[in-house]
Amino acid sequence: MKNNIRVERAIKNITQAELAGQVGVSRQTINTIESNKYVPSTLLALKIARVFGKPVEEIFQLENSDL
Amino acid sequence: MAKTKWLFPYNSRFIGIVLILIHIPIKLLWDAHYPKGYDYHDLPDTGGVLFSPPHLFFIGTTLMVLVGLFLIAFSKEKIEDEQIIQLRLDSLRWAIYLNYAILLFSLVFTGGGDSKHILMLNIWLPLLFFILRFQWVMYRLNRSAKSNDSETRL
Repeated sequence: MKNNIRVERAIKNITQAELAGQVGVSRQTINTIESNKYVPSTLLALKIARVFGKPVEEIFQLENSDL
Repeated sequence: MAKTKWLFPYNSRFIGIVLILIHIPIKLLWDAHYPKGYDYHDLPDTGGVLFSPPHLFFIGTTLMVLVGLFLIAFSKEKIEDEQIIQLRLDSLRWAIYLNYAILLFSLVFTGGGDSKHILMLNIWLPLLFFILRFQWVMYRLNRSAKSNDSETRL
């Protein structure tokens, strides 16, 4: 699964730590999600999408390797 | 958000460290007092007394070490989240695998008193494996987050 959290953060101009605070996780977790090392739960993905005010599919997308 | 049942508060890890540290001089003093050593489990059926001073001492120090290890192993992180819960479970599974592999191996290749010592080590060895593994994983997580910072600066 890939995501464009880093891009969305840049658009909204917030840091990893700020995003982490808004969704209630550690900054390290945002970091590992951004670098595709950790796949968040549905709950966390929905919360992140809500921060950016977009549907979750615009932030997270399946890759061929997931299929 | 994260489900953190059955974990101790963050600061209890420091109580755990203190318990283990103060157990060391107590144990050293005791060993200096009884230089020849003794059998902790000299139970009534072998002609001993159940709550003899050495046995009470054994119970006391073992409790201190075990409670200390439990507090260190199962205290919350400053910010608990789903990834940390997953890493904790992974480390626990890893520690159990490793511990049973070593336990089986040592029981196959030892006998008599050595087996008893191995079983006694197993009172606290799984917790120690878990703590070491979990701390290592957390250290790596923090380090990778820091190195990513310096690359992207976002």
